[in-house]
Amino acid sequence: MVLDKDLDRDELMQRLEFVRFYARWVKSTPNEVWSEQQAVLVNSMVKSSRNFLISPEKYLKMKERCRMRVHSL
Amino acid sequence: MELIFRDHEIWMKGKIKTELDRFVFDFVKILDVRYVVVSGYVVILFGRSRGTEDIDVLTERFEPAKFEEIFDKLVKNGYYFLNSDDPEKLYEMLDDGLAVRIAKINTVIPNIELKFVRSEIDRFSLENRLKVVIDDESIYIPPPEVQIPYKLYLGSVRDIEDAVYLWEIFKDYINTYTLHHYMKKLGVEGEQYGIG
Repeated sequence: MVLDKDLDRDELMQRLEFVRFYARWVKSTPNEVWSEQQAVLVNSMVKSSRNFLISPEKYLKMKERCRMRVHSL
Repeated sequence: MELIFRDHEIWMKGKIKTELDRFVFDFVKILDVRYVVVSGYVVILFGRSRGTEDIDVLTERFEPAKFEEIFDKLVKNGYYFLNSDDPEKLYEMLDDGLAVRIAKINTVIPNIELKFVRSEIDRFSLENRLKVVIDDESIYIPPPEVQIPYKLYLGSVRDIEDAVYLWEIFKDYINTYTLHHYMKKLGVEGEQYGIG
């Protein structure tokens, strides 16, 4: 398992507890309600990513570097 | 979340589609080969509030002529390939087991990372894909019994969170025999995270 260097086990467990809490909320909430809230966040992320100025060549190089870093861990 | 399970279908009525959903659903409509959307987007489709740069799509292997057809359709619909604008070169990449990336023109993110199925897990995902129906549209995803072990196998904090999220959403419907089979196959354990 490749845990982030600066994240210890207690912190991971706290994050996972929040993930469970959020999943339980989604499960108990009508589709129209949870998805409306999700759309606000996801749409703002998509909007800002579309404005991210990078060339396809630089982006592909960046992804390749990330991939190599993960494989070397 | 109201989900209705029918054989190999999951119905999710009334979900408000995000711009990311729109991007993915529009793309797969053009892709008239057998495919399955895997990894991060699946978790987002089922409600996790996070973004993603790339959407992983696996397809069955197809011939160069079919790729040219898909290439033309994508270009006509305002997409481009980040790696090259030469269909022959792009097909060679796919054939070599590499992924090609596709985005809407004048953008880089979000993009589709498209590749042919290669491993046994890829093939199981494609052969046993589930159709997710949202009102009048649909998309294919792998069974959660494979996605959860695969996320644990990838092993970053975000992947483990995704695995836990999928488990929480699908735990009442999961075939634990298949889940454990793929966990064993990938050499991962879920107990420490409450999975399985």
